[in-house]
Amino acid sequence: MVQLLTAREWLKNLYSRYENFCRPALKFLLALISMMMINSKLGYSQALKSGAVTLIIALMCSFLPLNFIVTLSALIVLLQLYALSLESVIVAGVIMLVMMLLYFRFAAKDTVLIMLTPLSFILGVPYVIPLCAGLVAAPSSVVSTGCGVVVYYMLKAITVNRQTLLNMEEETLLEKLRFLADAIIGNREMMVCVAAFGITIIVVYVIRRLSVDHAWTIAIITGMLVDVMVVLMGDLRFETRINVASLVFGSLLALVVAEILQFFIFNVDYSRTEKVQFEDDEYYYYVKAVPKNTVTLSEPKVKKIKGQEKKPLPKKEEAAEEPVQPAEDKKDAPEYRVRRSTATRDKAMAELEEIRKTAAARNRRPAPGKKKRGNT
Amino acid sequence: MINESRIKLMTRLAAYEGGEGKKSMAIGTYFKGDYIAKEVMKSIVFATIVYCIVIGAYIVYDFEKLVKDIYDMDLLQLGKTLLKRYLIFTGAYAFITYVVYLIRYKKARHSLRIYYNNLRRLNAMYKKE
Repeated sequence: MVQLLTAREWLKNLYSRYENFCRPALKFLLALISMMMINSKLGYSQALKSGAVTLIIALMCSFLPLNFIVTLSALIVLLQLYALSLESVIVAGVIMLVMMLLYFRFAAKDTVLIMLTPLSFILGVPYVIPLCAGLVAAPSSVVSTGCGVVVYYMLKAITVNRQTLLNMEEETLLEKLRFLADAIIGNREMMVCVAAFGITIIVVYVIRRLSVDHAWTIAIITGMLVDVMVVLMGDLRFETRINVASLVFGSLLALVVAEILQFFIFNVDYSRTEKVQFEDDEYYYYVKAVPKNTVTLSEPKVKKIKGQEKKPLPKKEEAAEEPVQPAEDKKDAPEYRVRRSTATRDKAMAELEEIRKTAAARNRRPAPGKKKRGNT
Repeated sequence: MINESRIKLMTRLAAYEGGEGKKSMAIGTYFKGDYIAKEVMKSIVFATIVYCIVIGAYIVYDFEKLVKDIYDMDLLQLGKTLLKRYLIFTGAYAFITYVVYLIRYKKARHSLRIYYNNLRRLNAMYKKE
């Protein structure tokens, strides 16, 4: 545990020391992953799909605000869809516009969730999002996460029905639009997911703010169970045909990720909890103070030993003949040890042997005034 | 001679001015009623645009049926229904905006009060020297 805490402190220190580099690097990674995911799922435009363009966009995003990455991603999605069909752009554009107008003027900070949610779906870990959002974000993130789920299922519906759309050449634009809108709005799995994520976020948020011991752990476990239950109930009610094994494994993985998040954000020692009570003129105070688990990193001390410049070593024969008399100021220098001759070494060995003999003789004699045990 | 507590206070003030303070100071220039009214007005405009988009999308979605039934429809009744729904939607959205921006205004004023108190303390420190 101490090692883990030390590693955490080390990571924190590293981040705070190189924050100016870490933040752009993280933004770059986020932008790169999102661009790659968009290209892998909707790679209809060859120009946007090329690695150079992806890299340039990701590099550009690393120096721009986080909301810009979200806007740019939305723009790229629309451009990719335009390469597929005009109808898909219209449908996706309308849905995104409504989201932006209605919600994102309120919660500009939460916009990143709308991008992280589809990413988590693509990476196969969608249940991580509601648990983590409940732990670190406000309840308003229910809407952001819901929007993210809608975006994912919208893109999925377009991708799945791509071939059908391309085959509908003879149909009118209105027919195609209706077909796509039905595919998105009539998706029961999406509705179940939105409901499950929303309920989970609220449950996790409410429990983790309670003043009980291990509130975060309780919140994580309860949230996971609630999520699984709501998804299963939705499956039974609407026959969404959700893969139960992936749901269970995904939820367990989400539990692990949430625990890691807890370790980094809310690591406290409940065994040292203190409850104090005091009052002033206006209030009574009932305070519960839970100390954080922290370790202080010891700075490694580097002792600099200033030695003189290395001289070339004397030849073995010469060194054996000439005992070197060390100068006072060179006694601690490493060069001195190297240059010590064999004659000096022999002399030292002889002295050591003499000391050993004396010590052995002294040990054989009983100490004066010391009685042996049992001789009473 | 460097005064440590003064440096700490100045750092805190500078951090506030550079971050959260920017928004709070912008909010602080308004009276509460003016600020909330401005945001509610904005929300009404946005809600109207969204409502128009949704109605437009619905017309496009059901265009053929609408064209077929347009002569049999009670247009006055349809207009009333649409207006009623518009008022409900816009009203609900405006109410949410009111609550959200009321809380934001209060928070901003509170943080500004702390900021001005700190400024006063800093001023007192300078005078003391």
